[in-house]
Amino acid sequence: MKNSEIEQRLRQEAKALLEQGKVDYIIGYETGSLKFTTTPLITRNKDDVERLIVSPFIVNNLSVYLTEIKGKAGIIAKGCDSRSIVNLMQDNKIAREDVVIMGIPCPGLIDLKKIELLLGKDRDEFDSVIRHNDRAVTTINGKEKDFPIAEVLFDNCLECEFPVPQEYDVLLGEPCAPVTGEVSKKTSIKELEAMPRGERWNYWKEEFSRCIRCYACRDICPACFCQRCFVEESEPQWVSPTPKWQDNLMFQVTRNIHVAGRCTDCGECERVCPMNIPLRSLAKKMYDIVDEQFQYKAGMDKNAPPLLTAYEAAEAEDFIR
Amino acid sequence: MSTSKKINKKDIGKILSQWNQEFTVLVPSKEGDVSKMARWDGKDTGFMDSHRNTVQPVKTNFFPPMEEMFSFQKDKEGYHIEPVSPGEHKLLIFAIRPCDANALAILDVAFKDGYEDPYYLSRRKGTVLIGLGCTNPYDSCFCTSMGSSPSDSTNVDIMLTDIGDEFLIEEITETGKEMIARTEELEEAKKADEAKAKQVKEASYNKVTRKIDTKDIDKKLLACFENKDYWEEVSAKCISCGICTFLCPTCYCFDINDDSFKKQGARFRSWDSCAFPVYTRMPMENPREEKWRRVRQKVCHKFEFFPMNFGSIACVGCGRCIRLCPVNWDITQAIESVPEIT
Amino acid sequence: MTVTNMSQGKRFFASDNVYLPHLAIIEKIIEETPGVKTFHFNFKDEKLRKEFSFKSGQFAEYSVLGVGEAPFCISSSPSRSDHLEFATQQVGKVTNALHRLGVGAEIGVRGPYGNGFPLDFLEGKNLIFVGGGIGLAPLRSLIWNAIDNRGKYENIDIIYGARSPGDLCFKYDLDTWDKDKTINIVSTIDKEDKGWSGRVGFVPKVLEEVAPSASNAVAIVCGPPVMIRFTFPVLIKLGFTPGQMITTLEKKMKCGIGKCGRCNIGNLYVCRDGPVFTYAQIKNFVSSEY
Repeated sequence: MKNSEIEQRLRQEAKALLEQGKVDYIIGYETGSLKFTTTPLITRNKDDVERLIVSPFIVNNLSVYLTEIKGKAGIIAKGCDSRSIVNLMQDNKIAREDVVIMGIPCPGLIDLKKIELLLGKDRDEFDSVIRHNDRAVTTINGKEKDFPIAEVLFDNCLECEFPVPQEYDVLLGEPCAPVTGEVSKKTSIKELEAMPRGERWNYWKEEFSRCIRCYACRDICPACFCQRCFVEESEPQWVSPTPKWQDNLMFQVTRNIHVAGRCTDCGECERVCPMNIPLRSLAKKMYDIVDEQFQYKAGMDKNAPPLLTAYEAAEAEDFIR
Repeated sequence: MSTSKKINKKDIGKILSQWNQEFTVLVPSKEGDVSKMARWDGKDTGFMDSHRNTVQPVKTNFFPPMEEMFSFQKDKEGYHIEPVSPGEHKLLIFAIRPCDANALAILDVAFKDGYEDPYYLSRRKGTVLIGLGCTNPYDSCFCTSMGSSPSDSTNVDIMLTDIGDEFLIEEITETGKEMIARTEELEEAKKADEAKAKQVKEASYNKVTRKIDTKDIDKKLLACFENKDYWEEVSAKCISCGICTFLCPTCYCFDINDDSFKKQGARFRSWDSCAFPVYTRMPMENPREEKWRRVRQKVCHKFEFFPMNFGSIACVGCGRCIRLCPVNWDITQAIESVPEIT
Repeated sequence: MTVTNMSQGKRFFASDNVYLPHLAIIEKIIEETPGVKTFHFNFKDEKLRKEFSFKSGQFAEYSVLGVGEAPFCISSSPSRSDHLEFATQQVGKVTNALHRLGVGAEIGVRGPYGNGFPLDFLEGKNLIFVGGGIGLAPLRSLIWNAIDNRGKYENIDIIYGARSPGDLCFKYDLDTWDKDKTINIVSTIDKEDKGWSGRVGFVPKVLEEVAPSASNAVAIVCGPPVMIRFTFPVLIKLGFTPGQMITTLEKKMKCGIGKCGRCNIGNLYVCRDGPVFTYAQIKNFVSSEY
């Protein structure tokens, strides 16, 4: 199904939801103010739904707004997003009946940063970026250049196992298969694991020396819904507010531990970091650990208890000495 | 005889080397792929290929994300406080863009007013700014709406204009004039070069497509201060992170914290943001608990309160906030949407 | 009326750096209520001790080195300068650390900051002090200043209240002022309490009952934000103009000198243009931000 057809259906659905009073807000995507960029659209106005779009650039995980919206929401969700929504239900942050999920099977999103690196130009200098099945076609100054899609999709899209939303009220578009392709060119878990410890420590020391503690990684993450974050506590002070690399690293590591079992690998944390710190390397490692140790993936079953708050008598205890 | 000089781009290293004898020369560099002004290594001029502004603003060099204010120790006599010595800085910033230079002028006002800030001012003292006009503005740039332009030389000492294979070099201040006089390897610019520069400047001006109207914006903002519905709508998609304020060249809010271990420690200041919920949090109440109040504060501070105090809007139109915002919250859209006064 | 320009006040810098605290020794600690203490202190440096001066209403930034720094008004009067005082409630990291200190402990102090009360404007007028809880601290400095210069001012009326008798601060002052025939003082507590035979009622309500005259008067208000917010409408009802209402505000502060940005109300910084404001200055932003 073409994006334009999905958009049509989406707008009809969204409008109907508002008109029938089934939801108070529609949360979706609209065209952003920069080339190729999309931006969240949060509206109560049924006329605004004409602005809803679907494109290869609908990056935001909109479920981050569900914990602050007052009222019921009709929300557009890709595969990873829908799992974040289910997560919020598991954590009792939202009720199933308060959300109408318009699911969109996602064939992967295009990472404009990767295209900028490949073409050596910034995104506002491209004429167009279009996806044709398994190729991405870019045009600059009239000249076309195309790439295998695996070279320009986000890293987490390349490793996506569940492109079709797990939970939805209406599915817009045809179910699609997970993207297959080489795992990312950015530092991958395997590369890091192959590094000797001393080298790995220096690697992270250097990366986290750039961290300015903007907290975008935390604020964009739907799993970080705490009203009072541990970094904001002063008694006791877990982590210094001053951005020393040690405290920056502690913040991120602790954050990953706190969202263990909630993270759906949507990749937003890494996308938003203004200092290009490879945060997903940590988040994905935690995701893999959760999978290996507990055979658990976040957001698959809204009735399952949250991973680390559930206890069963039969669980292993051999690590307790 | 024209007072302009010029230099071939290939020869930039030659004049930087001269200036490097006297100053700490900072040039656009990449650090982990995130560009900022950093110390020139003495030989590489590859940065000349990049023709756009750095991600990190120049404020980073004068007002860093973290700096020590003083250290202290305790012994049986009591505490001893050791101030951080300001040191001799003498920075030369090469290829600073007009927007960032204008931003430094705004920060100068803020850090000098009332009580002088010794940390910022000691770094700033004696700094020479070599401006480079932009020939390829981003689609997020809007300097032309903020009383500036891609070739604005108001706040630099020397202004460079890209005229092809060469830079035209214009003296702007007395300091700039003296520096040019004692710099070797510069050629005289011809009339044709100056004409080319004029063309380039006009063309660059027209390349800035993003525009806002700031006429009476302070009065309009005052009129809608209590309009909760408007501010809730404008702020809906903001996630309250610190990216816009941290990467903004004119934002200067900071936090002060102590670190200590046993009998010694230090006091640091670090970047803070009015967007954070805890920014104004007191034990008993938080006047800006709700997001819409914080977004209102940011917009009003830049376009209403700062102008009321100091006479200029605290925004230079660099567009970093728009480019880097995780949700594409756009201040130009916000300004354009402020209701007219009824 | 203009509030005093703070840049005309004297400045006391350590090593030319406004952010460096001076060291001071705590000489006496008074427990005002469970949770509120007054600290008497003096600077370690002899010369500074002699030279230091401030105006009622100004504040200083007090450090427990290694823990942090917090702003509190100087609650002693400039007319009684053998020592300095500040009062604080135990509510967070720095105040918890302060409350753990004993006599003889060293703290950092930098100041005085802020604009202070406009003594010139107040001269010759009837002063109506309206205070709540620990909000009496800055008022106290001015009250003692006025008493020590009694001839300069007309009537002095004080309306002061707290949640309960145990929450009344500066009880020793309240007693002294009660005995002073040149002062009228009304104390009140929020709710009935056995052992309290005085007035009962929230401060704004009691103010309305006492109904002081607005003629040639200035009302000086300090207390919790909610008290201040409800006191202004009462004063307006009693005929006070916005220029006749003064308050001293409290906001989260760090630098104390108008640089770090966080204490603003509109274009005014509480630390630099305040903390003393007239209602006229802040009324555009008071209902929303305060």
